[in-house]
Amino acid sequence: MKRLPLAMLAAMVSAGLLTGCQGKKPAPGDMAGYDEGEQYLSIWVHSIEDTDEGKCYRESVEAFNEKYNGTYFADIEFIPRNDSGGGYSDKINASVMSGDLPDVLTVDGPNIAAYASNGIIQPLAELTEEEKSVYLESIIDQGTYGGKLYALGAMESSVGLYYNKEILKEAGVSIPDENHPWTYSEFLDVLEKVKPVVEEKKGYALDMTFPVGETTIYFYAPFFWSNGGEFVDDSGLKVDGIFNGKENIETLEYFKKLLDRGYMSNVPVENLFESGRAAFKFDGAWEVNSIYSSYPDIQLGVAPYVVGNNWDGGRYTPTGSWAYAASAKTENLQGATELVKWMSGVESGTKLWEMAKCFPSTYQAFESIEIFKTDENYRALYNQLSSFGHPRPKTPVYPQVSTSFQQVMENCVLTGEEPKKELNKAIERINAKLKRYKVKE
Amino acid sequence: MMRKKSQSLLGMAFFGPALVLLTIFLFLPMILTLVFSFTDFFALNPGLTHFVGLDNFFQIFQDEEFRRAFLNTLCFVLIIVPLQGLGSLGLALLINKVTHCKKYFKVAFFLPVVMSLAVVSTLWIQIYSPEGILNAILENFGISAQPFINSASQALPSIAVMSAWQGVGYQMIIFLGGLQGINPALYEAADMDHATPWQKFKDITLPELKPLCIFVFITITIGAFRMLVQPMVMTGGGPSHSTYTMVYDIYETGTVNWEIGLASTMAIVFAVFVMILTVIQTIATRDKEEKDVDKKTKKK
Repeated sequence: MKRLPLAMLAAMVSAGLLTGCQGKKPAPGDMAGYDEGEQYLSIWVHSIEDTDEGKCYRESVEAFNEKYNGTYFADIEFIPRNDSGGGYSDKINASVMSGDLPDVLTVDGPNIAAYASNGIIQPLAELTEEEKSVYLESIIDQGTYGGKLYALGAMESSVGLYYNKEILKEAGVSIPDENHPWTYSEFLDVLEKVKPVVEEKKGYALDMTFPVGETTIYFYAPFFWSNGGEFVDDSGLKVDGIFNGKENIETLEYFKKLLDRGYMSNVPVENLFESGRAAFKFDGAWEVNSIYSSYPDIQLGVAPYVVGNNWDGGRYTPTGSWAYAASAKTENLQGATELVKWMSGVESGTKLWEMAKCFPSTYQAFESIEIFKTDENYRALYNQLSSFGHPRPKTPVYPQVSTSFQQVMENCVLTGEEPKKELNKAIERINAKLKRYKVKE
Repeated sequence: MMRKKSQSLLGMAFFGPALVLLTIFLFLPMILTLVFSFTDFFALNPGLTHFVGLDNFFQIFQDEEFRRAFLNTLCFVLIIVPLQGLGSLGLALLINKVTHCKKYFKVAFFLPVVMSLAVVSTLWIQIYSPEGILNAILENFGISAQPFINSASQALPSIAVMSAWQGVGYQMIIFLGGLQGINPALYEAADMDHATPWQKFKDITLPELKPLCIFVFITITIGAFRMLVQPMVMTGGGPSHSTYTMVYDIYETGTVNWEIGLASTMAIVFAVFVMILTVIQTIATRDKEEKDVDKKTKKK
C-alpha cells in the first residue's frame, strides 16, 4: 500500500492553519512569571476560561507556578468543547497532524485507551506507591492502560440510585446497606411493592430511559458488570464471546422484565421523579443538588446500586471524568508528570468542588469537604465511589462500544428485539472498528 | 491596452483576498475530502494513512447504518418536499387574498424561519412530549396519547412536520413575491371569459409561478438532505436509528469515531447523490416550451 505524502502535506498545512501555526516555545521573560532558568510547560484544558471550572483551572495553574517558582512555569490554554465533544477534540486532532501538542492535555476518561494506543499521550513518569495511594482506586484504574499509568483524573463522577423516601415508606420498603445491595430478584420484589403506590400518583416505579449518547452506558453498565459480564477483554481488543456473553444476555432479559411488568415507561416522561411520581431514578451526582435547590418537597435518599444475582462483591458502580495526561510530544516528562499530579491533586480537587461542584479525585479532598461528612446522600455517593467505583470499558474503540451498548439497550428493551441477535450485530460493528488495531499488532 | 491591464489588476486586487479565503476554507477542504475518501485516514493517527482505493465506497454501502441513514434521509425528503412546497404555496395564496392584517400573517408565518433550529427543536420536544400540549389536544378529541418522537415509526414524520413548520415561511415569502408580480390584466381577461377560480389558478397562477416552483422545490430538497440539527437535538438519531440521517452519520463517523477517511467517502457519495437528484428535478420540472426549443435547436 502506498503512502500519501502529498495529501498528508496538504492536510498538515490546513491543520497548521487551523491551529494557528503555533509550535514556537516562548522564551523566558516573554510572559509574566516565566523567568530565566524555569522549564516551560504548556497545558490545554477543555473548558471556557470564564466558567467556574475554567477559573478554577487557572487558579490551580497559578498555584503550581508559585509552588514550583524557579523550576517550572506552566502556561494554560483554554479550548472550549461543545456538548457533543467537538471543538476541543478537533483541536487535538489537528494538532496531532501538525505536531503541535502541548506538554499536558486533558482527556475524557473513556478516551484514554484510544489516545494511548494511537501515541497521542505517553505513560507518566513513575509514581511512588504513596503518591498513587492518594487517588481513588477508580482514578488509577481509569488512567491505566496496558499496565501503564497514563492519566490522573482532574475530577471524579458518580451516579446514584435515588429514591423517594415517602413512597418507599408508604410501600413498606427499607433500604439495604451498601455492602448488601438489592440483587436483581430482590429489586423486582421491591418494584412490585412500590408499583401500586406510584400508580395511584399516575407514575412509574422507575424513572428510567436509555437516551442516545454517553448516558446509557455510564448509568447502566454496572448492571452488566455486577452480573459477571464484561464488554471487552483486558487488552481492549477483543469482544467476541465477551460483549455477547451469557451474563450480558441475562442482564438484557432482566431489563426487558422491568418494562414488560410496567415498572418503567417506554417513552421518557419529563420530571417523573422530581414531580414525586416515581420511586427510583438513576442520575448523576448533580441530581442531589438540583433536588435540594429546585424540588425541596422530595425527600431524597441514595440506595446502593442494584447488583446481578451473580455478584461477587467486586467493583461495579459508575465513575469516570476528564483526566490530565502527558502528551507524547513532551520532552519534559518529569515536569509534565509534576504538573499532572498537581492539577489532579488534593488542593486542585478541593478547589474544583468549591468553585464548580465537581467531585474531587483524591481521598483527602473528599475527607476535607464538610458536606461529604454531614449530608447522608453525598456521603453515600462518596462511599459508593470509593468502595465500588468501576471505570468504563478500556478500549481504543470506546466510542463504538458506547454507541453499540446504547443501541442494544434501546433495541432489546424498548423495541423488543432478541438480545443475542442484537449483541452479535454490535460485535460485528465493533470488530469492524477494531480491525485497525489488530493489523498493528 | 495598458488601461485594460491595470483594470484587470485592480479587479484581481479586489478579488484576491476572497479567492485566498475561498481556497483555504472551501476549495482545499473539498479537494482534501475527495483525496481522503480513498484513504483510511484516522484522525488520531494520521501518520498511518494508506491509500485504500475504493474500499471505503464498498464498506459504506455494506454498512447497515449508512444504508439506514440513506433511506431515512430519502424518506424525510419525500415527506417534507411536498408538505413544505405545497404548504408554502397554499399559505402564499391565502395571504395574498387577505385584505386585513396582511403584515401580521406574513410576520407570524415567517418568524420560525428567523429562529434558530436548535431553539425550534427544543420547543417542539415540549410540544411532542407524552404530557405535552399536542397530546393534551388529542385527548380532548378522545385520541389516546401518541409517543411522537419517542416511537421508531412516528419520529421521522414528526420531525418532518416540525421542519416544514419551521421552514415554510421562507418559501411562502418567495411565492408571495411571485404572486404579486403576476400581471392583473391576465386575471381580468380570465374574468371576462367567465373562468372559474380553479381554471384561473391552473392556467394563470401556476404557469406564472413555475420558475419559482423549481427554485423552491430544489432549495427545499437540498435543505432536507442536509437535515442534522433536528434529530441531533430531539432524538439523537433514535429511537432505533429511525431519525439517523446521512449528515448525522458523516458527523458521527468523522468526529466521534475519528474515521475521517470513511466520513469523507460518505460526504462524497452524499454530494454526488444530491447533485444527481437536483439535475433530475431540474429536467423533470423544465418547461414544455423550453424542451421544444431544445429539440428544435438539436434538429438544426
